[in-house]
Amino acid sequence: MGTLASAKIIPMIDKQTDPEPAVEAKVSAVQAPDALAPVAAEYPVPEPEPIPTVSLSKVFLDLLGYVTRERIITAGLACLSIGALFLVWYLGTKYKFEFYIRFKNVPTPYEVYTQLTQVGLSNKYLVNIAISVRRILFGFMIATLIGVPLGLAIGKYQRVRDFFMPVIEILRPIPAIAWVPMSIMLWPNNEAAIVFITFIGAFFPILLNSIHGVHSLDGVLLRAARCLGASEVRLFLNVILPGSLPHIFTGLAVGMGVAWVSLIAAEMISGQFGVGYFTWEAYSLVDYPAIVLGMITIGVLGLTCSGIIRLAGVLLMPWLAFAPGGKR
Amino acid sequence: MMTNTAINTDTATHKGLIDVRDMGVTFGANDNKVVAVDNVSLNVQPGEFVSLIGPSGCGKSTLLSIVAGFMKPTSGEAKLDGKAITKPGSDRGVVFQQYSLFPWLSVRKNVEFGLKMAGVEQSRRNTTARALLDLAGLLSFENHYPDQLSGGMKQRIGIVRALATSPQVLLMDEPFGALDTQTRVVMQEILTNIWQQFRISVLFITHDIEESIFLSDRIYVMTARPGRIKAVIKVPLPRPRRAEMTDTPEFMNLVQELKGLIREESLAAMAPEIKDRGLSGFGMKVGPKGVGDIF
Repeated sequence: MGTLASAKIIPMIDKQTDPEPAVEAKVSAVQAPDALAPVAAEYPVPEPEPIPTVSLSKVFLDLLGYVTRERIITAGLACLSIGALFLVWYLGTKYKFEFYIRFKNVPTPYEVYTQLTQVGLSNKYLVNIAISVRRILFGFMIATLIGVPLGLAIGKYQRVRDFFMPVIEILRPIPAIAWVPMSIMLWPNNEAAIVFITFIGAFFPILLNSIHGVHSLDGVLLRAARCLGASEVRLFLNVILPGSLPHIFTGLAVGMGVAWVSLIAAEMISGQFGVGYFTWEAYSLVDYPAIVLGMITIGVLGLTCSGIIRLAGVLLMPWLAFAPGGKR
Repeated sequence: MMTNTAINTDTATHKGLIDVRDMGVTFGANDNKVVAVDNVSLNVQPGEFVSLIGPSGCGKSTLLSIVAGFMKPTSGEAKLDGKAITKPGSDRGVVFQQYSLFPWLSVRKNVEFGLKMAGVEQSRRNTTARALLDLAGLLSFENHYPDQLSGGMKQRIGIVRALATSPQVLLMDEPFGALDTQTRVVMQEILTNIWQQFRISVLFITHDIEESIFLSDRIYVMTARPGRIKAVIKVPLPRPRRAEMTDTPEFMNLVQELKGLIREESLAAMAPEIKDRGLSGFGMKVGPKGVGDIF
């Protein structure tokens, strides 16, 4: 007794899983031609992991493998929906459509394109974008750094919850835009005030989803971790945080959206610089194409930001691809 | 035969004595008071495989929770090797009925978890985890995520994960309860094989009679609520256990004996539901004050 070799009894009885390693062998043989799996299937002493080799033709074939019927349809529909938007815009402006909705003053796509080529690389436009992005970055980062740990603590500890939740419930219904006057009074300069409003916008979705993440965590995982000797700190870092991550990322995505809404509103009301300011200024100067350019810029920036968050989520949580119901 | 030092199967220490004394557990207060466990004493000797069997709701899982350290008894105490149990710890490996693998960790990282908590360095964690996965016949799945595996595979990983920290005892709370019958039978054979190598004390909760006989050295039968020990049965079948043993007359007799004991308790547990239709058909007498008074 006490030897691993006697474990050979197991694969003989284990009818259920005996064929499975064979299937597995094929799968990993494709990924790593070193053929680890057939060796592993015979249950000898564990082998070290293989170093995957890369060949160019294989990479190309892999890439080609991504072009499936499913993906082509998806991409096609995406082009179609964006194309339809432009078509409505184009036809509306071309024929000066006027039936309750007035396309009279709306610039054509071409005018906006011309605007983009003229202003697009101008210092003013780029500086406005850079400033907006910086405000988002600061506001969103501060909201994440406070919202996630606080949310996890509130979710985990009843007393922390009892203390913070009343304040949170009172402040939460106040929209970030309503904070504009207060924020201007509160902070020493305009920049800090706008960052604060962005923070307010992002903070509550991040916080509430983090709390929800802890609550939706299966209690048996916490018990299992404790049995395996996890200390309180370890429990937080190795179980509660990763276990709440899917909900935290939902909060980050929602928070990023609200942060942009809040930022643009704040820039329009109180701003100097920023994409929101750029758009509002264009309106004041009756520069119609610039309004649309500003709007499209906001759309693209928002899309990019939520895309980055989604990508980070996929990279940080590869296991979700296999989760029941596929949260991805 | 070669010896693998990655897994500690040293049984010479003779540790792992579970001793439960005069334990009582009461839920609620005053009018809503429910006595879940009443004056239970039991023990698991070092290296012994003990099952606790009884109808659902008899407090067997409550008892295991106390030994695991998740909750405290209302009266009495539970000891491990003479020391009172107060909180969960890696000296007691626990396998749960629900799948309890961390979905964000690969299979191997799941098995390594306890060792990581204990501060064991990466390379040694890796070696141990791979050896244990090999033992469970799942080495080729080490880089998979739990959600990619079947229920039986998950529970096998749950078992070796609990063994990774070399605990003195293994507590198993209906670990195969969620599996289908075929998988269950195979899992029982795998478990008895693994146990044969480690020879650590096991407290195994189940409501499956054949399962308890096949696996155990001794079986405690519990009464319906409030849970008391009704009988202790020794299983004289030789070790290592083989699947064929389930067809022997010895095994059958034990099944019959246990069935009789459990049936009474199951009827008692269900009495409030079936009383209206009369218990005479079930071969039970109903006193004027209700079934609760019979026992």
